[in-house]
This record gives sequence, structure tokens and C-alpha cells, in this order.
Amino acid sequence: MQSSAALEYDYSVAKLYMWTAVIFGIVGMTIGVLIASQLAFPELNYLMGEYGTFSRLRPLHTNVIIYGFTISGIMASFYYSAQRVLKVSLAELPFINALAKFQFLAYLVAATFLVISLAMGITASKEYAQMEWPLDILIVVYWVIWGINMFAMIGARREKALYISMWYYIACFLGVAMLYLFNNMEVPTYFFSGGLGHWYHSVSMYAGTNDALVQWWWGHNAVAFVFTVPIIAMIYYFLPKESGQAVYSYKLSLLSFWGLMFVYLWAGGHHLLWSTVPDWMQTMGSVFSVVLILPSWGSAINMLLTMKGEWNQLTENPLIKFMVLASTFYMLSTLEGPIQAVKSVNAIAHFTDWIPGHVHDGVLGWVAFMVFAALMHMAPRAFKREIYSKSLLEAQFWIQTTGVVLYFTSMWIAGITQGMMWRAVDEYGNLMYSFIDTVSVLHPYYTIRAIGGLLYLIGVLMFAYNFFMTATAGRKLEQEPQFRSPMA
Amino acid sequence: MFHWLEKNPFLFAVGVFVVIAFAGLVEILPSFTNAARPIKGLKPYTVLELAGKEVYKKDNCIACHSQLIRPFKAETDRYGKYSLSGEYAYDRPFLWGSKRTGPDLHRVGNYRTPDWHANHMWDPKSVVPASIMPAYKHQFKNLADLETAYAEAVTVKKVFNTPYGDDIQPSKAAFEKYYKEKALPEALKIAKAMKNKDVLAMVQQGKIPEIVALIAYLEHLK
Amino acid sequence: MTLTEMQGYAFFFLTVLLVVILYGYILHLYRSEKKGEQDYEKYGKMALDDELHDRPVEANPKDKNDKKEN
Repeated sequence: MQSSAALEYDYSVAKLYMWTAVIFGIVGMTIGVLIASQLAFPELNYLMGEYGTFSRLRPLHTNVIIYGFTISGIMASFYYSAQRVLKVSLAELPFINALAKFQFLAYLVAATFLVISLAMGITASKEYAQMEWPLDILIVVYWVIWGINMFAMIGARREKALYISMWYYIACFLGVAMLYLFNNMEVPTYFFSGGLGHWYHSVSMYAGTNDALVQWWWGHNAVAFVFTVPIIAMIYYFLPKESGQAVYSYKLSLLSFWGLMFVYLWAGGHHLLWSTVPDWMQTMGSVFSVVLILPSWGSAINMLLTMKGEWNQLTENPLIKFMVLASTFYMLSTLEGPIQAVKSVNAIAHFTDWIPGHVHDGVLGWVAFMVFAALMHMAPRAFKREIYSKSLLEAQFWIQTTGVVLYFTSMWIAGITQGMMWRAVDEYGNLMYSFIDTVSVLHPYYTIRAIGGLLYLIGVLMFAYNFFMTATAGRKLEQEPQFRSPMA
Repeated sequence: MFHWLEKNPFLFAVGVFVVIAFAGLVEILPSFTNAARPIKGLKPYTVLELAGKEVYKKDNCIACHSQLIRPFKAETDRYGKYSLSGEYAYDRPFLWGSKRTGPDLHRVGNYRTPDWHANHMWDPKSVVPASIMPAYKHQFKNLADLETAYAEAVTVKKVFNTPYGDDIQPSKAAFEKYYKEKALPEALKIAKAMKNKDVLAMVQQGKIPEIVALIAYLEHLK
Repeated sequence: MTLTEMQGYAFFFLTVLLVVILYGYILHLYRSEKKGEQDYEKYGKMALDDELHDRPVEANPKDKNDKKEN
């Protein structure tokens, strides 16, 4: 007992990732607001010469948000909560602790090169898998180290059973590893041509339709295993811990887990409806996307019911607000996704702005809200200080919620309007609108979307300030808070 | 019966892996051979076109333009015949895109001219007054990377048996010969059709700017 | 038998198998709790009592320090 009385959880790695999450969040969302504004006001394309066009910046936005902001949030949460649910401190495992810091270093290096290479236009061009092969290798190394650390910590655990969050982290690790490897199979041209051309250039192992299949198997499941699975891991830990209420039904959480694992991987085909992919795969994609509602709602309802009898906390604690709204948005986007995956709806929705609209109610409402809540829950414990300002958090919540609502409502209207105009015919069966008509009509919606994005960004800046002040100027805490995070 | 699964992280991981790998194994792998067959008469991209495809990737046209015509009347009326799987047999990577902020380009070679493209890339508003597309003037200055494109042709010929002729060989000398005898004349043809004096002068000096390669690629899309 | 057919059968039977396993799992979860063999809901406490000195819901026997502590 004496030895473990002195022993504490070691948050040094979690803290590093907490800072990168804040920084990448600001960078990624600033680029996001810029490119959203470019669609409404094209003159903004010329701020940085060839490096400032919408097309060059868009992958930078998606990659910084996925691999910068979200992965940082996930890793911070992992290195924080895995210790706690396993009841093993990283301070007891000096080698793993050092390896985790090395992993962070590899992360910074990879992130730097990723930003540089995308800005220069060096890209494999597959969405969310744009990195060329040298970076791919670096990322694989990074991911393998994470796996080693995860299983080493599990091996040293005091708690025999694995908490549901750990299940989801393991699934995230395995899923991303498998999908990433297969999707990024490429042949470096330099070595096969006797040293001609750029050394980093490569050509995909798959061609055409096959490439599309593998890509959307990944593309959709990057959403599954980066934007869903680990975020569920986070909410299963942080919501019960912050509210002091155990998960409503642990059994339901286990069932939803297996349901999600099995069904999710089939849904990728819904990105390729009406394409040249075989029909039965398209149908599978549709059907499984609809079935996917069940396990998704299983998790979300479980979260909402966890608050049963404690709904007063929703008005008293902004962190609970963030998390409850996150699970609500999770329900919204997991209902919206299957609707879009129905073939007849997809015929209108595909290629339109409804798709980015859908993605953003998921990422802004669910992923980012959960990351903010997690970071703010961890901050008082990691920095041993009270949260700097409760009212700032409240204000952030309302500003960002307004931003998300503006974003997705405008994109819904824009998407459906454009989808309908593309197919509109007059009484003689001729197309009614030229393509540019369907672009001009979107201007007001693009403007509203940019404003929504700007509101959200303002919220992020408020958060960053609040976070920084918490870490440096919050009132010092004597003792680690047990449940509710203290805030001034 | 299932309790061991919840306690043993290794077996648990195996279980998760089986469940998530299942879809891929059944869905994707077996169809590979079928989907990869080219349609009759499909020609692989020339090196200049490949270089153009690199420009297309580099400036990320895929962010706003699709290359997939779906089998609806509204789409075939607007863009031409719907896309077939075999047409993409030499597309590595595929460039279908996921968003149409601008129109589909899968058959753009059928209804636009090099001249139109040149004006459009220099100033989109000059040909489509309401366009929200940015201008890509740097493509008129930056040189296309023919050597890397050539390396790509060599690689796909070797690794995937893409039917290229004997003029695609893994050596610097072969590339230089190809550049002079095949790529430059091809580029010159495009440059003449573009009606842009500066570009034409560059090609006549033996330099191929990105715009020429890009237009060669767009012309191939039919 | 063509490749597509085999794919069809493989898919069908594997899916049935996985569905059976999933339902078996549901049954197992609720039945073992009813019989009193296993209390799943106690695992929810893992997130709440997660201090290093909190008593684990189920101690890992591999951990030697643990015996001394308890």
C-alpha cells in the first residue's frame, strides 16, 4: 500500500497530445473557414498564389483535422484514460513511457511532412490517404508503436476485465492498421524505373474500379475507426466519470460494440452507389448502412440514459452539455448517413453539398464536441488546476452549436437544391439548367455555411484561450477531483 | 461460454479482427480480376498525358470535379455515355472524386477544345462568367514533370503489364530519346491548338509547361 | 461453380454464423446474469473508481503487488 500511495498516474504524454489537439484544431478549422469562404467569394483563392487555391487547401483541411486534431484528441484520451481503467500508471512502465514520447515525436515529424507535402501538391490523391509512400511508412511505424504501448499497458494491468473503452481503442488500432495498409499499397516508381523521376512518387497497386473499392472501404472506415470507434471509447469513459453515473447498461454497450464491428465494414459501398462497382456490392452497402442505425443508436441511447435522474447536471455543467449534445449529434448523423445510403436518395444526394453537410454535423457536432469535453475534463487533472472559466465554456457551447446548425441546414438545402436542379427537365425532356446555374444558386448557402464555420472557429479560439489559461493561471487544486471537473 | 473473450485481450483482438476483416475478404478480393479488365480498344495514357494526370492530382482538381457518369438520363444528357468499369483499367489511382462543385470531366475531351481549356485555366471567368473556380496561372509557368511520368509508365509496364511499346525502357537515355521524339511533338500539337504564344514558344524551346500536359490529359478523357 | 457463386455461399453462411454467434452472445449476457453467475453491470464501475488505490472490480491474478495490497 505504501508503494502505491506515492505512485500517481503519469499524464506527461497525454499533456503533449492535448496541446497538439488545440493547435491542430485552430489550424485545421481556420483553413476550413477559409475554403468555405472561397466557395462563396472566389477572390479569396488568390491569397497565397498557387498554394492558396481551394483545391490545394482542401486536403490540408481534412488531413489536419483527421490526423492532427482528432488523432491528438484520441491519443490524449487514450494515454489518460487507459492508465485509469487498467489501473496501471505509466510511471511504473518507464520503457513504455519513453516509447510513448518517442511515438509523439514521430507524430510531430509525420505531421510536419504531411503539411509540407500537401501544400506542395505531393499527393497520392486518394481521399484521407493522400500521403506518399515514405510518409505512409512513418505512419505505420507510429501506429505499431501505439499498438505495442497499448498491449504492454494491458499486460501490466491490475484490473482483470477490460473496460468497454479499451475494447473500442483496440478495435480502433486493429481497424485502422488493416485498412490503412491495404489502401496504401503502392509501387514506388523510382525503384522500378532505374532511378527516374522523383523518389517519393508512387503508383497505386489497384486500378480503376478496384482502387475505388479499396479506397472507399478505407474512406468510409476512416470515418468508422477514427471518427466513431475511438470517440465512443472516449464518451464511455468521460461521460460516466464527469457525471458520476455508471454506464446505463453495460450489457448494451457490449452488444453495440460487436454489432458495430460487424456491420460497419460493409457500409463503405454506399460511397459507390450507381458507379461501376458490381450491383450486389452496392446493395450490400445500402442494406448494411441502414442496419448500422441499430448499433449506433444502441451506443448513443446508452449514453443519454446514463444521465437518467441526473438531468439537472445538463444545466449545471457545460462539459455534460458538450457530451450530451455530442451523443445527440451522433444519433442525428447516424440516421442521416443511412438515409443518404438508400439508392434513390443517393441518386440526388451524391456529389452534392449534402455530403459535406452530413460529414460536418458528425465531425463538428459529435467528434469535436467530444474532444473539447475530454480535453477540458483532463485539464484540471493533468495540470492540477481549476478550469479557468465556466462562462467562457458556456458561451463557446452556444456559439458553436449555432455554428453547426447553420452549417448543416444550409448544406442540406444546398445539396437537395443542386441535386434536383441537375436532373430537372422541361416538358420536352430537355435539361432545364446549365451546370453553372446550379452553382450560382448556391451562393447564399455557401455564405451561410461560411458564417456557421466562422462561429465555430470563434468557439475554438475561445476554447484554446480557456485551455491555455487553465493550464497556466487556473486556481491550484490540492486534490485530484473525483467526478465533476471544478471550474471558476 | 463467452466470458474468456472479455478477459483475454489477445483472443479479443483476434475476434475483432476476424469480424472486421470479413467484409473485405468476401466483398473486395474475389472481384478483383473482373473489374480490372480493360474495354476493347482502350489505350494506356501517353507519358505526356500521365504527366498531365499528375498536374490534375497536384492541383487537386478531384476536390471539385468527378470522373464518373452515373446511368441516369439527366447525367448522360449532360455529360455523355455513362461510365464503364473497363474504361478505368489504366487509372492508377482512380480519380472519380466525391463532390461536384464543378461538372463531371469523364468525357470532357469530347466537348471542349485545348483552346477553351487554356482560356479557362488562365481565367475561368473569361469563358464562364459566373464561375467560382480559381485561375491556375502557375500551370503556364511551372514545367511538367515528364521524367516522373515516364518512370510511372516504366513501372506499370513492368509490374502490371500495361501494354506500352518498346519506347518505354528503364533508362535515362531511353527517356531522353522518348522526350525528344514522342513527348515534344505531342506537346507541340497541343500548344498549337491552345493559341497561346508564350506556351508555344516554350514548347518550341523544348520545355513543356504543366498546362500542356494537363490539356493532353483532359483531351484523353473521352 | 463460379467464383461469384462461391462468394455468395461463403458470404451467406458466414453471415448466418456471425448472426448466430451474436445472438448467442446476447443470450449469454442476459442468462448468466439471471442465473447469478455473472454481474455485467459492475464493470461500469471501472470508469468511476479508477484511482490507482481503488479496489479493482476484478483483480488481475498475474499482478503480484496486488496480493500484498489487499
